[in-house]
Amino acid sequence: MRSDSGGVIRAGRAGVTALGFALLGLGVSVYLTIEHYNTSLTLACPQTATLNCAKVTTSQWSKIAGVPVALIGLVYFVAMTMLLLPRAWRYRFLAPVRLVGAGAGVLMVMYLVWIELFRVDAICLWCTAVHVCTVAMFVAIVWRASSATVSPIDP
Amino acid sequence: MWGTAGNSQFSEDDNRHVTPKDPDRRQSAQQRLAAQRAAAAQARLVAARRRRLLTVGGSVGAVLLVVAALVGVKLATGGGSPKSGSTATTATSSVIADVSSVPSNVLDTVGVGTASPLPSSVSAPALTSGGKPLVLYVGAEYCPYCAAERWAVAVALYRFGSFTNLGQTTSSPSDVYPSTPTLTFHGASYTSAYVSFTGKELQSNQVVNGKYAPMDSLTADEQSVFNKYDAPPYFPSAGSIPFVDIGGRYLISGASYVPSVLQGKTHAQIAAALSEPTSAIARAVDGAANLVTAAICQVTNDQPASVCKSAGVVTATTALSNAK
Repeated sequence: MRSDSGGVIRAGRAGVTALGFALLGLGVSVYLTIEHYNTSLTLACPQTATLNCAKVTTSQWSKIAGVPVALIGLVYFVAMTMLLLPRAWRYRFLAPVRLVGAGAGVLMVMYLVWIELFRVDAICLWCTAVHVCTVAMFVAIVWRASSATVSPIDP
Repeated sequence: MWGTAGNSQFSEDDNRHVTPKDPDRRQSAQQRLAAQRAAAAQARLVAARRRRLLTVGGSVGAVLLVVAALVGVKLATGGGSPKSGSTATTATSSVIADVSSVPSNVLDTVGVGTASPLPSSVSAPALTSGGKPLVLYVGAEYCPYCAAERWAVAVALYRFGSFTNLGQTTSSPSDVYPSTPTLTFHGASYTSAYVSFTGKELQSNQVVNGKYAPMDSLTADEQSVFNKYDAPPYFPSAGSIPFVDIGGRYLISGASYVPSVLQGKTHAQIAAALSEPTSAIARAVDGAANLVTAAICQVTNDQPASVCKSAGVVTATTALSNAK
């Protein structure tokens, strides 16, 4: 398996960075999912008029078609982590899947930020951490994808 | 044509002249060619890097632009405003029946259940009314934590007496744990041979002029208790609701369990679940009710014994003692 520039496709620094953000996002998603199903757990989060995790995670928008958004995030980050493992970079056909996955994640982030700002009227800090991980992962994946046509040297 | 032919001729001559006879000039030409190729490669690399930066920068810029636009519109249109909950009505007879008669064996099985935090003990002057220990509840109808606490307080108080005109409503749909089904103490009265009860809902769940409408008022004495004991050092923050003062011996500030166990349920479902000892609702509400009951028993000198000596209350009393 070779890149356009003739080098073997490897994760590179950007790919490893993307994997790091995927693992971070996965960790926070696990926490949010556990909190969702364990009613005796409360998110460690300030409760002010603007910052209020519980208000977001218990709102009617915390589920999509009956599935908790936290669980959707968990499944998403499991999938992205698999796609970003060093071994997965060897398969050229996964490159567009990786990009589409990252792009879908960013679109979901925008939708959820809109929900937080205009429907729930509160910001969940843990959710924001997941959003930051998603966007950072997207940037790293785009960076790595575009580097394949620039230089045979991994960034 | 001439120029081209001439150049071509010259070039060929030059090549013929240089190639075999002048190794230095040949080497120089090769170096120029290599330099040109290197320059072209460099230019391609720079162009590719520019494209890469544009791709990545454009993607990041687009994301930041959208988020900035959302935040900007939010700031321009102002923050969220509270929304009204359902108007309070008299609690249905089936709800009252379920809340007032949770089987004692269910309460015994649940014990403390998942209730947390426990009421905290306090050394304050005895709080009484009509010659009996007083349980003072301060909350608001819009408040989701009050919505949770009322179920437990009502189950506990029904073991010592009975309510009339107990209402049912929901917490605010625009707050945490939105539209949590609950009871309301506004307009209700309570009679018991063992304990007095005052339940004050300071605000309704109906929005008037952008705020929840004022409802019950505290008397000067109640306000004094509320100001003094629903504040540091007894609790981290002052004025939190719900607040319950049990005869000046025990205090509760905030819900005794997480209100999410009530989410998505109707009043009837919650009331019915109180008699199912393994349900999450029973383990939370009945557990909290046993703790409130145990605290009340401390100020009624364990009267009535049938309640205060029951297994569930004894378990809760032990938990209260251990928490001291």
